[in-house]
Amino acid sequence: MRWGMVIDLKRCIGCYACQLSCKAEHGTPPGVFFARVLKQEEGSYPSVRQLFLPVLCNHCEEAPCVEACPTGASFKWDDGIVDIDHDKCVGCKTCMVACPYGNRYFNDQAQHYFPQGPTDYERSRMARHPTGVVMKCNFCRHRLKEGKLPACVANCPTVARYFGDLDDPTSEVSRLIKERGGFALHPELGTRPSVFYLPA
Amino acid sequence: MRYERLIEDLRAEFRPQRAWGEGRGIFMVIGHFVVGVAAGAWLFALCYESRAGLTLAFVLAALGGLAHLVNLAHPARFWRMAARFRSSWVARGFWGLVFFLTGAFLYLVALWWPGLWTSGSVPGAFGYALALAGMVLLMGYMGFVYSSSKAIPFWNSTLHPALYVAYALRGGIAALLLVQAFGAHSNASFAELLLWWLGVSAVVVAFFALELHGAWTGGNAAARRSVHDLLAGRMALSFYGGTLALGMLVPAWLVWSGLTGEASLQAMAVLALASALGDFFMKYSTIRAGVHLPVWTKSHGLQR
Repeated sequence: MRWGMVIDLKRCIGCYACQLSCKAEHGTPPGVFFARVLKQEEGSYPSVRQLFLPVLCNHCEEAPCVEACPTGASFKWDDGIVDIDHDKCVGCKTCMVACPYGNRYFNDQAQHYFPQGPTDYERSRMARHPTGVVMKCNFCRHRLKEGKLPACVANCPTVARYFGDLDDPTSEVSRLIKERGGFALHPELGTRPSVFYLPA
Repeated sequence: MRYERLIEDLRAEFRPQRAWGEGRGIFMVIGHFVVGVAAGAWLFALCYESRAGLTLAFVLAALGGLAHLVNLAHPARFWRMAARFRSSWVARGFWGLVFFLTGAFLYLVALWWPGLWTSGSVPGAFGYALALAGMVLLMGYMGFVYSSSKAIPFWNSTLHPALYVAYALRGGIAALLLVQAFGAHSNASFAELLLWWLGVSAVVVAFFALELHGAWTGGNAAARRSVHDLLAGRMALSFYGGTLALGMLVPAWLVWSGLTGEASLQAMAVLALASALGDFFMKYSTIRAGVHLPVWTKSHGLQR
């Protein structure tokens, strides 16, 4: 069993629904984006087009963050999800330096979005995030336990995201990767990511 | 402000690493620098039988450990860093420091209070061996902490560990020069130490030049950007002022004066401090010059 995600770049319209739904699901503090969307322009006038690349933790099979973490706070579940045990994290940021995809964030202090103070929503959602530790996407593990899809997958309006078992050759994600030439980011690093992209 | 900078970083093609070297992260650089000097000082002080040098090495290692603790957001959990020595270089460094501090303490007790136990006794010999093992680990681990990072191509160089060992040796010579400048005794003459400084500095310069050349000619765009930042960008002032002027030119001039004429003790002390500060700026500059590998590159072929 190895959970994985496939993102169809042909379907992605860069609407940021994944980023917002992730924020809403996890109540992450300002400056913390478990899921985000990168934009790039291509070509020159008049043939210009915008490309979008949604990114999140790649839950690498050979995760450099897990290897680099001195305390064992960064670890991998049996289903391939790379997670952080916040009680073990000392806040040395070694994993942030080790992650080639820049998908780890340090929550150094309690923060809120508005100058007048935290809203009720922020009080209820952000309070569960400990400070002085590194945070990252965990494929919405709590939702998976309830039989739901990760928030970014469930809320993508263009159905650009697919989620499933990469070890199962008959799963939709495995089929899409095979049939449409799915690729991972920076395969040359040997990290073997569990997030794949379908060409635009 | 911090949030806006983060957003700016996330949008940038080459995101500068800010985990180490900025804010509390400066203590990581200080810790690595001080611990490196401590390891080098222990080696040279052992070779030249300098009790003051050995003591300084122990004090520096303790201070380096303290700096590492300050770098941690949860210093009370520091003991957890012992856990993953099989895969993590930071954990190996932790063990190196534990070995070194324990061993050095046992050995120093034998030197300062031989009534308790002598250096030839079981605790003394055990301390000697443990400190030596710790010293080797401390010299070696730092470069690997950086070179094992696939995320920052500028650090991801095979020469980096060798460079850090060379810098530790240079720091060790500086430490011994300093204690001798303050009147401590050892078997080394100033001329001998100055020649060591020249030789090791030449190795450092050669390694550093090779590393920069390798990153510029054989590295990817992120590695080249780091070299640019170091030589002509945001870290240029720290590199030219701290590493080159303070760490190389000033000591080199003082070494020349010391080898060709009578050098004062003050000059030797200034040489040692300038050389050590230069080493700090070298580490600081190269750590801060690190930029992350862009997530999105042309080679990804986002289109068929």
